Amino acid sequence: MTSNTASVSAALHVPEGAVRDHHPGELVLDTHADALPDLADRVSEQLEGRLLSLFATDDRARTGAFGVHQVWSLPRLQTLLRLSASIDPAAPSFPSIAQKHTAANWFEREVMDFFGVRPDGHPNPTRVALHDDWPGGARALRRDFPDDSQVPREPGDRHPFRPVTGEGVFQVPVGPVHAGIIEPGHFRFGVAGEPVLYLQVRLFYVHKGIEKRFERLPWRHGLFLAESISGDTAVGHALAYAHAIERLAKVAVPPRAQALRVILLELERIYNHTADIGALATDVAFTVPASRAQALREGLLRTNDRLFGTRLLRGTVAIGGVKCDLQPEDREALRSALRAFEKEFDSLIELLVDSGTFTDRVDGTGILTNQAARDLGIVGVAARASGIDADMRRDHPHDAYAGLPFKIPVEDGGDVRARLMVRAREVEQSLVILHQVLDRLPDTPCAASVPDHLPPGASALGWVEAWRGPCTHWVATDERGEVARVKVTDPSFLNWPGLVHAVPGNIVPDFPVINKSFNLSYSGNDR
Amino acid sequence: MIGLILKSIRTGSLTEANPFGRHAAFGFPVMDFSRCTACGECVRACPTAAIHATQPTPERAIVSLSYAACIQCRACVAACPGQAISVSTEVEVCAHSREQLSQSASFDVDPVTGMGTFRQIEPGAGPSLADAAANLKARIHGRLGRSLQVRQVDAGSCNGCELEIAATTNPIYDLERFGIHFVASPRHADALLVTGPVTRNMETALRRTYEATPEPRVVVAVGACGCSGGIFGEGTYAAIGGVDRVLPVDVYIPGCPPRPQAILNGLLVAMGVREARYSPRLEGA
Repeated sequence: MTSNTASVSAALHVPEGAVRDHHPGELVLDTHADALPDLADRVSEQLEGRLLSLFATDDRARTGAFGVHQVWSLPRLQTLLRLSASIDPAAPSFPSIAQKHTAANWFEREVMDFFGVRPDGHPNPTRVALHDDWPGGARALRRDFPDDSQVPREPGDRHPFRPVTGEGVFQVPVGPVHAGIIEPGHFRFGVAGEPVLYLQVRLFYVHKGIEKRFERLPWRHGLFLAESISGDTAVGHALAYAHAIERLAKVAVPPRAQALRVILLELERIYNHTADIGALATDVAFTVPASRAQALREGLLRTNDRLFGTRLLRGTVAIGGVKCDLQPEDREALRSALRAFEKEFDSLIELLVDSGTFTDRVDGTGILTNQAARDLGIVGVAARASGIDADMRRDHPHDAYAGLPFKIPVEDGGDVRARLMVRAREVEQSLVILHQVLDRLPDTPCAASVPDHLPPGASALGWVEAWRGPCTHWVATDERGEVARVKVTDPSFLNWPGLVHAVPGNIVPDFPVINKSFNLSYSGNDR
Repeated sequence: MIGLILKSIRTGSLTEANPFGRHAAFGFPVMDFSRCTACGECVRACPTAAIHATQPTPERAIVSLSYAACIQCRACVAACPGQAISVSTEVEVCAHSREQLSQSASFDVDPVTGMGTFRQIEPGAGPSLADAAANLKARIHGRLGRSLQVRQVDAGSCNGCELEIAATTNPIYDLERFGIHFVASPRHADALLVTGPVTRNMETALRRTYEATPEPRVVVAVGACGCSGGIFGEGTYAAIGGVDRVLPVDVYIPGCPPRPQAILNGLLVAMGVREARYSPRLEGA
């Protein structure tokens, strides 16, 4: 028994030995469904746990039951904890924790939508993922639901928007097809003149059945699917998937590959952060820095292309390592490209923060308070901009991050300005990380050999602090070693409620810039 | 303010005079069917069934490669034991039908060894590129001049295509100099630029957007998923598949995602300014 299993057992008041070391940095506690709410309270209060994911599994063929799983980050112990309970299919329900742990809200409703397993006591047990025209009985993630089922459309309004009443009060519907080049989603603003009273979002327009698709594809091909969960997070999701498979198959990734993965992940971070900073300028019609940021981003993508043959870094991550390498001359080319970028980036940020017309629009706009961010379980950039000091790269180090000194920028404002500044400072830190890694690239192969078959009946978590926040994949195999379930959690899924919370009280014209400051992925959310 | 102006003057114009012709390390795979034995290794390696094989009779096999579904993952190149698959560095690929993006070859199969011997490139189905371009011209280009107003619709994409479409508006590619402009409403649009796979949940919105676009309207499908469903497949419970499963498509721009110059090229093909001059059929024929 490790010290972690002992301290977690003690904090949760469960017998020693109940908490198992499943994989390095990943504990598992199998429990009874009725115990889940108390355990969740203790994880949150005693262990300062943060909910990363909550999902169901259909194990009826193997164990005769459904499973419900909670994944918690325990940063103090540098470990993740999965609480798992089996659910009797005769009475498919489990006690909800959403009343106390708001982060569970959408997760539990999604379990209901895709598995037909009800969260008892949920404060708002309505659909989150299924659109109104979905028939009630179509449970897409049950194993006996064929992936090529044609789901009929049913008429009816099962999920009406909250009405607004009063003089001069009205609704503004926006989407799913938006005015810009962005992803589809529906926003319904309740407004009194310009100020927004409340915002409701309806997502899942780009639900592509990715989790089901993983069950259909050979596990090696799953890597390509992971790259397409959210196109701007190709490295993040591919790495999270690769981590899960590697831990499951007990593959040790060579040090050079771990270092190259850090390079890829940081390059993804800086191109996205730069684009987002430019987009904030675009959304307040400040065109000079917007153009500068777009040009800078294009320069980064071209550097990616020169070094790896891919602009958006697709096809660079392999299961067991990476598919690319950097020779000394490539490293020098990257160093000099980064030095040139840094100079331009600094002047871009200066241009923005020194301009009153810009800061007028972003200061105090779209505030997500620290308390709200904690209550909602917000992660990633948005969390750090609301004073939450959390980052998987430090709290649960993966790849080569354990040995790297770097700072985690945290801002207290919780407004658009804070989310901008977190991004700007993270870019600075990414450059620090990149130069360190480039200077000390270990001399090993770039990939380990991977077995032909995955172990049967096994499971593992993979996680990454991608540019937007933590990407978590949980992969389980069936008795033949084929993929039985992949649960994908994109940081967007945890953060959309944060946007909903940050908008009311602001005016409608500020919505684009608030939305962009979160820049959440619709595809990653909807999967 | 002075700083801003100075900065702009110092920066000058970043726009590339000719954004086309830039080659990539990996464009699309090219099959040398004469070296292929129809062993099926590439078929098993391909995650999107862009390469697939059928055996209509025990003595005959057909292998086909479709750029519409190719996500440029390079797995086939590595998998081929006979080095029959090489890499094309050209990325400005574009066509007027799915068929024009695919190439098939037939093989005589030795019943004992199971090895195939190349017989011939099969003729492609549907109209040729030139005929399709002429049809499009007859239908559209009499009305549309030298400008194209485009409404972009994400009908299910992973947002990778959106990143590259957005890049066409940056100062380096600057698509507006070609008379192409992204508009906020389909009612202002001549063309829909649609990424996919079309999901079940976006089908209605996509149809309504199309109906709101005045005639004559051009539909351009972008990306492996928009052209064929890509890695997400077609006919699943959630993904209907390529845009042509829902709307008539005039121009296909394959790639995962297609590069900005490929998107720009495709839009100029939709305008009738450039010709879709690349066809994989020319390569192995």
